[in-house]
Amino acid sequence: MAEPYLRVEKLVKKFGPFTALNGVDLEIHAGEVHALLGDNGAGKSTLIKTLAGVHEPSGGQIYVEGKPVNFRSPRDATAAGIGTVYQDLAINQLMSVTRNFFMGREMKGAFGTLKMDEMDKIAHEEMLKIGIDFSDPTQAVGTMSGGQRQTLAIARAIYFGAKVLILDEPTSALGQKQQMEVLKTIKRVRARGDIAIIFITHNEIHSKLVGDRYTFLALGQVIGAGTKEELEGQDIRRLMAGGADIAQLEKEFAEM
Amino acid sequence: MIRRPEIGAFIVMMIIIVALAIASDMKAFNALGLKNNIKIIAQYGIIAIGASLLMIAGEFDLSIGSMIGFAGMSMALMLKWGLPFGLGEATPFMAFAITLAMTLTLGWFIGTVVVRSGLSSFIVTLAFLFFLRGTTEVGFRLINGSTQVSGLPDYKENSWFANILGGEVFGWFYDAWNAIGRWITQDWVFEARLTIEQINALALLNINRRLEQWVTGFDARFMWFIIIALVAYFILSRTQIGNWIYATGDNKESARANGVPVNRVKIGLFMFTAFCATMFAACQVFDTNTSDAAKGNLMELFAIAIAVVGGTLMTGGFGSVLGVVFGAITVGLVANAVFFIPSIDGAWFRVFLGTILLAAVFANERIRKRITGGI
Repeated sequence: MAEPYLRVEKLVKKFGPFTALNGVDLEIHAGEVHALLGDNGAGKSTLIKTLAGVHEPSGGQIYVEGKPVNFRSPRDATAAGIGTVYQDLAINQLMSVTRNFFMGREMKGAFGTLKMDEMDKIAHEEMLKIGIDFSDPTQAVGTMSGGQRQTLAIARAIYFGAKVLILDEPTSALGQKQQMEVLKTIKRVRARGDIAIIFITHNEIHSKLVGDRYTFLALGQVIGAGTKEELEGQDIRRLMAGGADIAQLEKEFAEM
Repeated sequence: MIRRPEIGAFIVMMIIIVALAIASDMKAFNALGLKNNIKIIAQYGIIAIGASLLMIAGEFDLSIGSMIGFAGMSMALMLKWGLPFGLGEATPFMAFAITLAMTLTLGWFIGTVVVRSGLSSFIVTLAFLFFLRGTTEVGFRLINGSTQVSGLPDYKENSWFANILGGEVFGWFYDAWNAIGRWITQDWVFEARLTIEQINALALLNINRRLEQWVTGFDARFMWFIIIALVAYFILSRTQIGNWIYATGDNKESARANGVPVNRVKIGLFMFTAFCATMFAACQVFDTNTSDAAKGNLMELFAIAIAVVGGTLMTGGFGSVLGVVFGAITVGLVANAVFFIPSIDGAWFRVFLGTILLAAVFANERIRKRITGGI
């Protein structure tokens, strides 16, 4: 197996006395979708925020292309090619697609003027690459569907150099049809082959549809990991549903 | 409709222009009527553009009116009593430059307090509304003995700088108007005593009762209004800073997450409203050669009202300079209407302003809902 683009070794994150991550290992390969699953409070958010440079780890080590890195800010993580697409997407509804795409990283001409035509063209092309033909990039984002907004945020992260794309529950809070749109987008990004995707989800079916590799978290620890082939469908379902917890619950029900 | 949020403001403006022309028997748009209307439109416009850019970035400035009073005091006192610390007599330029340095510093300070404290700009700038107005009055009494300065020399005569602020501009416009009038009236026959119909007809051709050119130019503030509007339009719609202003007002957190220097944008715009207030005051001081402590009273509220009538969203993130220009024209014309239609009570102006303000808020909210998908 080739060297993973991003590798996490025995990552520990403590908030005061509370241990959110307790020695997590993770390997993220280019051209793969790595599904990160776990219940609320399992440590998914802490893990991705640590990878995105929001939190500094209390222990363990992150490697990018085999080299150890220390992210002190989200800017460091972005510079290392880690792009995070949060649930709120960091998108402004009242502004146009292009203005959102280049927000904070506008292309400037003389006197700080915007190269609007060029930016329109790039925004259109970059979104087309991952599957949305948005003919009018001057349209306000507020008029786009949730799925289209996800695509915008993903296309933006890729255009500005993301090699690892962290998608924080991109399918939650969306309707059925839009969920499918997002999954298609994920598949298209995967097909490029040069970008690794960390796909955080609650949804077993979604993770099975697009995932190549899985990591299950519970209480800050990895309780199961492997490639699609290594894990049987049944196993995924058991781990998703809470595994041991369910067995315990069944036992309690039986005693009632 | 969504693309052109200023369409509503434009329609209201056109209605007002037509109604005023008819009701005033065209007096509102004769040579002097136009000049006087443009004067108040420009005054409103200058501060409303500052207020609207700040509102697009999601903040209010209630200190604009007091800043006008403060800047006017500062310039008038320096002109009358000389530069501070006994540095000698003040030229118009020095008085203006020192005042602008102070008001920009105040704007920077207000902005810094707002972004550092995270408090609502409404309350912070309300504090400065009182603070600056009080400072203005105290300053007047301590230095000048009374709360007004009058009888300053007419600096426009000798100082080009005072002239570009308080003098006349676009004389060619009125010259051309007069030339056309002369050409039209070349065959007219006048008695020694003109009839009232003839006087009114001549007024529309920029010719006075003695058959001379009547008005020679607009007030200089008209030029400053145009300059400020063009620069604000250019910055807002064509530059990176414009994109940052929209992004800051729309959703501060997502703007910040994308690397927009949100705090710097806001502080810069508080300085811009202070600049607009200073220009308002400077035009007034050098035009009339007077100043008093009550100048600019309530102007912050007019500025905000005009920004809203022009399509600026109260919640930020949306608005256009063109809409604000239409709003300023509308409100300015109605404010002045009483001078051209003596039979109406001037207080109707505020009734009207209140009504269109409410209508504009609802219209803007509809636009916002349509853009954001009805949420």
